[in-house]
Amino acid sequence: MGDFSARGQRLLDWRHAIPLPRPWRVIAGFLLAGLIGLTAYFLPLFQSASTPIATSGGGLINPVSGPTDPFTVLLLGSDDDSKFPGDQFNTQSMILVRVDPINKQATMMSIPRDLWAPIEGQRYMGKISTAYQTGGVQATIATVEQNFHVRVDDYIWIGLAGLIKLIDTLGGVNLVVTNPVMDDFYPADINTSSPYGYYRVALLPGPVHLDGVQALQYVRSRHGDIRGDFARSERQQQLLLAMKAQSKHINLADFPDIASALNGEVRTSISLERARQLYSVLDQFDSAHIKRILLGAPYTSEGWAGDQSVVYPNWGQILPLVSQYFAQ
Amino acid sequence: MKAVTYLVLLVAMVGFGFGVYRLAGMFKSDGTHVQKPTSTYAQALPGKMFVAQGGAIYRFQNGTFKQITDDAGWTQPSSSPDGTQLVAVQRHLNYSDVYVLTDSGRIVQQLTHLQSSSVEGNHWAFLPRFSADGSRIFFAYDDKAPGTYQVDLTILSVPAGGPGRDVVWTVPNPFTGGDTDPVPLSDGGLVYTKYSIDDQAAVHSQVWLTTRPGAGGTPLTKPEEDCVQPAVSPDGKSIAMVCRHGQLQSTELVLATFDPLNGTVGPETVLMQGQLAASPTFSPDGQTIAFLAPVQQGGRFQLWTVPADTSPSPSVARPITQNVGLDSNAAPVWEKR
Repeated sequence: MGDFSARGQRLLDWRHAIPLPRPWRVIAGFLLAGLIGLTAYFLPLFQSASTPIATSGGGLINPVSGPTDPFTVLLLGSDDDSKFPGDQFNTQSMILVRVDPINKQATMMSIPRDLWAPIEGQRYMGKISTAYQTGGVQATIATVEQNFHVRVDDYIWIGLAGLIKLIDTLGGVNLVVTNPVMDDFYPADINTSSPYGYYRVALLPGPVHLDGVQALQYVRSRHGDIRGDFARSERQQQLLLAMKAQSKHINLADFPDIASALNGEVRTSISLERARQLYSVLDQFDSAHIKRILLGAPYTSEGWAGDQSVVYPNWGQILPLVSQYFAQ
Repeated sequence: MKAVTYLVLLVAMVGFGFGVYRLAGMFKSDGTHVQKPTSTYAQALPGKMFVAQGGAIYRFQNGTFKQITDDAGWTQPSSSPDGTQLVAVQRHLNYSDVYVLTDSGRIVQQLTHLQSSSVEGNHWAFLPRFSADGSRIFFAYDDKAPGTYQVDLTILSVPAGGPGRDVVWTVPNPFTGGDTDPVPLSDGGLVYTKYSIDDQAAVHSQVWLTTRPGAGGTPLTKPEEDCVQPAVSPDGKSIAMVCRHGQLQSTELVLATFDPLNGTVGPETVLMQGQLAASPTFSPDGQTIAFLAPVQQGGRFQLWTVPADTSPSPSVARPITQNVGLDSNAAPVWEKR
């Protein structure tokens, strides 16, 4: 009994368990404390990586094998206000981005939200923006892949509040407003219980600094421009370039704030490690080498399908263009 | 004694861990850091200036800023020819109004009343300027039919307190957003910016000159130059403007000779390029141009000056402020005293 007690005492004596001289134990203690401090700082990043904001696309997503391989990302933006129940959103913004890390070239192609096309999982034609509503991200990716004959490697979906938070976390964006953006019927659907209201937007032309709310107004307004949704698509591409420029100023220490801001506001198939690789790749790109494509005439024409105002694709013009810039 | 030593070490370790946590946060980028102008100093410039930041107008004199209005949506100040008054915009959620203020910020007169009980019944008024004789005030106004989607700005002039009627000066291209940046000339003409959309659905902006209300006018710049925000020198012989040449992330600050009689501008000199120069204005003696631009890419807009020099040698632009984040649509107002 006495022998057992002595051994137990030795086991409990932590000084015997750590065969280090006392100064080293003190140093180890400080290192451990520093590590805990760093871990606490980056905790939001680890949390966002482990929570389901990164949802796998299952068999549809085709992860590229290495950071130098060209890849295609489908960017999706939705009005996710309370007008839409659950996850039943349309994708008001759809942009295919092809990145070639070796040649440091990229192409952005906006897909008109009203493009009249076969929808995956449906037996009828519809606006391509409704694919997400009927079949989620899998149906959206499949619809884009089948209609445009491209392979989508990854996707990123973001809602209204997510975009605002992302831009505010970046510290806003700088860009040149090309003409007055005027809209008397801009939806007042953020942070409200009555999402059917509206207010007036006026963004004056010239170089400006936009915060998150203003940037969302810039890429969402469409009523006062004769080009309608195409003008909006052009501004969305411009905002992506501005965000890329602004992201040059963020560093590792900013990532926890960004992760906190976006937690639950972004869905993507891109892992944290992959995002870090992409950030590194895109950081080397000159915006002058990013080609911007809008599918206006002659690639599309506006018309009516029943009582719906739609955009008819001219696949004979679109597919060669897609093949040129998005070929695998 | 040993227990006290352990306790002190434990407290020191906890403090070290917290210090590391705080230290990591200090490495965050601070590109968004903006101060109120009143809490900063800047290099003194001759005369005095008025600038706008975040809903207030500030006077800049002898290197310090003084806030002259409340933080209540005030922006886009411009001075009267005699320098005793300002005209400025007070912006609200769905409308804005033009006011005449003293140069210490006291309201003298509300010139427009553009608020409505219905959202689309409201109107905007932006970018006001006194006429050369101080009798009228020009501004961009959305002369629209309520309930339609078309909201295009047109250039309107109204009496600056005296008798007279409102005059519509320009007819904007429909659904382009309209005409902006009125600059009344001493000969009674008007320089302004007009927008158009070409066959390829690309937007262009041009600086135009018109001699009378409703006249067709003359473009002073080419569509492909995409120029906006003109400023005319005090002697009326030079024009400064911002041109983007199809770019969406950068502009050039351009200076050119200006002949209002023949409606032409001479060879252009680029005073600054590759950055986001905005809203130029001439000094009272016409020798210097003040403008707004970020000091670092992605930063907020600061006050800059550059010599108004058309000689072949490159001009040297210098930032006057570093971290105040001024309204880039509100051109600095520069007065003699």
